Amino acid sequence: MSNQKPPYRELETKMKAAEELIHALRTQQVDAIVGERHIMLVRLKQAEENLKSSRNQLRALAAYLLSARENERAVIARELHDEFGQALTSLHLGLSWISRKLTPGQQPLQEKITSLSATTTSLIRSVKNIASELRPGALDELGLVKTLKSEAREFAGHTGIQCRFKTNTAKAKFDRSAAIAIFRIVQAALTNVARHAHASRALIALIKRKNGLILTVMDNGKGITRKLIYSHDSLGITGMRERALALGGTFTLGGSRSKGTILTVQIPLSRVIIGTAP
Amino acid sequence: MKARKRERRRYAKPGGETYVFWLFVAGNEPNSSQARGNLARLCEEHIKGRYKIDAVDVLKDAAAAHKNNVLVTPTLILIKPLPKVTVLGNLNDTRQVLAALRLTGDER
Repeated sequence: MSNQKPPYRELETKMKAAEELIHALRTQQVDAIVGERHIMLVRLKQAEENLKSSRNQLRALAAYLLSARENERAVIARELHDEFGQALTSLHLGLSWISRKLTPGQQPLQEKITSLSATTTSLIRSVKNIASELRPGALDELGLVKTLKSEAREFAGHTGIQCRFKTNTAKAKFDRSAAIAIFRIVQAALTNVARHAHASRALIALIKRKNGLILTVMDNGKGITRKLIYSHDSLGITGMRERALALGGTFTLGGSRSKGTILTVQIPLSRVIIGTAP
Repeated sequence: MKARKRERRRYAKPGGETYVFWLFVAGNEPNSSQARGNLARLCEEHIKGRYKIDAVDVLKDAAAAHKNNVLVTPTLILIKPLPKVTVLGNLNDTRQVLAALRLTGDER
């Protein structure tokens, strides 16, 4: 028995020392690791703080860029609508005026003017669409809920993918920049559904809960891989995530081949709902 | 009898003897600086005038660290009174450090 004691003690001491070492490393109380040839400085706390600070800076920059882009879009949309749209309308009216002045003998000219008039009408429609895409006027006029409803309808019309919208926030009044962010997230999500999901059905849900406003966009398509979700090339996803985080919210995206893709954004109510519409 | 002796030695009262500490640090890295400050404070509070601290900067004297099997900094070694005790970390947890250095004997 007496012969067994020392090795046991030694083992116990070594175990205790190892535990202490692990504790010191875990609680980040270690400055340097002393190796046989080198002494490696451990600056975990510093590195962590630097990383956190860089992340915050990047996030602030992203939020600023998003807001600057929205403002720029609004200016371009206004210019397009007011200047270009007006000019095209004048052109259309002028062509109609000329058309009325032509005599029956000027048939080739009449045909040319009819063709030009049709082109002008098509251009006017295109300008309106581009301006609306850049800055959805409906968002200011109708509010977020009705705009999303119309977006779902238009999406179904364009793509043939059945798209439903449901909400319990019909009477809520939304903060303007939050409404733009939510709308842009839905737009980007629907673009992804149309481009990549191979889905036949999609659902947009905007639900107010006690813990926040929850936006869900889901489809019954082929799902999305983890690699794609976190890829640096997935700019659309990065943009949606940044918009959600800029509102103090969370962003999750997942899915599988059998269940399709589901995107969920949760935003604190205080950041998004500012009252109740009359 | 033997057990009682061991017990007495473990919780020796901090009276009379001089405490000798070796504190292995890495320059002025945050945990090393904290360990220096904490050790000085603890000594002043509990064994004033009866302690000696030798700080070893491993960035300047790595051989001393190797010789004493120091793997990380900060590492505090109580050299005297025996038995030797090794404490790792920035010594922020006063209660545990005092217990490890057997300085809580008279408070028990």
